[in-house]
Amino acid sequence: MSKAVGLLGFKVGMTQVFNDDGTAEPVTVIEVGPCPVLQIRTKETDGYAAVQLGFKDKPRKNARRSEQGHVASKLASKRKDSRTKAGVQLLPKADCEPQRHVREFRLDAPPSVTVGQVLKVGDVFGEVKSVDVIGTTKGRGYQGVMRRHNFDGLPAAHGAKKVHRQAGSTSSLASNRGSGRPKKGLKRAGQYGNARRTVRNLKVIRIDADNNLILVRGSVPGFNGAFVLVRPTNLFNSSHNRVAVQQEVKTKIVLQKKGK
Amino acid sequence: MQSKFMQAVEDKQTKGDVPAFQVGDTIIVHQKLLDGQKERTQAYEGDVIARSGNGIKEMMTVRKIVQGEGVERIFLIHSPRIARIEVKKAGQVRRAKLYYIRERLGKAVRIKGDTKRQQALDAANAKAAAEAAAVKAAAAKEQTAAEGGVSKRAAKRKAKAEAAAKK
Repeated sequence: MSKAVGLLGFKVGMTQVFNDDGTAEPVTVIEVGPCPVLQIRTKETDGYAAVQLGFKDKPRKNARRSEQGHVASKLASKRKDSRTKAGVQLLPKADCEPQRHVREFRLDAPPSVTVGQVLKVGDVFGEVKSVDVIGTTKGRGYQGVMRRHNFDGLPAAHGAKKVHRQAGSTSSLASNRGSGRPKKGLKRAGQYGNARRTVRNLKVIRIDADNNLILVRGSVPGFNGAFVLVRPTNLFNSSHNRVAVQQEVKTKIVLQKKGK
Repeated sequence: MQSKFMQAVEDKQTKGDVPAFQVGDTIIVHQKLLDGQKERTQAYEGDVIARSGNGIKEMMTVRKIVQGEGVERIFLIHSPRIARIEVKKAGQVRRAKLYYIRERLGKAVRIKGDTKRQQALDAANAKAAAEAAAVKAAAAKEQTAAEGGVSKRAAKRKAKAEAAAKK
């Protein structure tokens, strides 16, 4: 799958919905968009192609001048005056309220959207079968190996003393023999959670355009109300997208043949 | 507090016609089953021993004794597979979960009736039955009117009279 524009949103929570045949589907409700397009990054000017989106208005009094200036074309500034005088073409602005969350979606090619356009859930996910959700997992603090890496711990009896929840031996891994140091990436106690995670290939169950909601099957990272990024899945040959992918490949082949 | 978005999602599918019943009540669950190609309903009668969850996720555990063996089934109250829930008997209990009756047999399984609620329930059930009968009668009348204004019984009588006359 080629890279596609997604949307920014908040995780609302989990519930269930009933299918037509009466089976219950576990879903996560995500409030996505509407997201104004703030900027378009191009290979020529920025070195990469991307779309920058905003989500949720921020009161102007709380926004820094730079945040206000990023979205407003009419904000007066000396630099702008001098640049205009010098004949520099100013970048287009979205002319919306300052945005609380601003993120970019990388793309392969320049997008078809324009700055100032407001993307809604129906526009972006209308025909999407499955999505990827990127969020920050719930922070669990500094945790031991049993909770963090699902280790088994050490025996409760048989002479084990004060080491019941420890990892056991950390050295002498065969591949690192003789180095005198433990192997890199060894699983140990440490910070667990509060990390960026992507869940791929979540099936889209329903889209509620009136309330800007998307319902995906399964769970997504983070607590209720957490900020998440939702994009059409980039998992090639995803089970939910297989038909669409096959179609895409087919058309590509046809086009190639025609080209010949 | 529940989010308004969650409400919007759940309200679409929650049933408005779920009767008020409590733990300890005896209910009949009319369940839709797919029998080959045809859909039919099956009734399951038992005591509600637990209710859990809220909103569209609400579930109930219904227990009954089949051939001396206790059977418990857990239903999603708002499932579209449940056609109707009928409250038969109002029970009076002091627990939110009646798991203790699992260990009991025979007479000890009985749940004390709640006479006050039972009266209201009987009245409501009678009213509902009367309404259903009225609707059915009206539908039958309409059908006979559509078929030529002769009721089945009248048609039968007429045919009989004609046969007698022929003889």
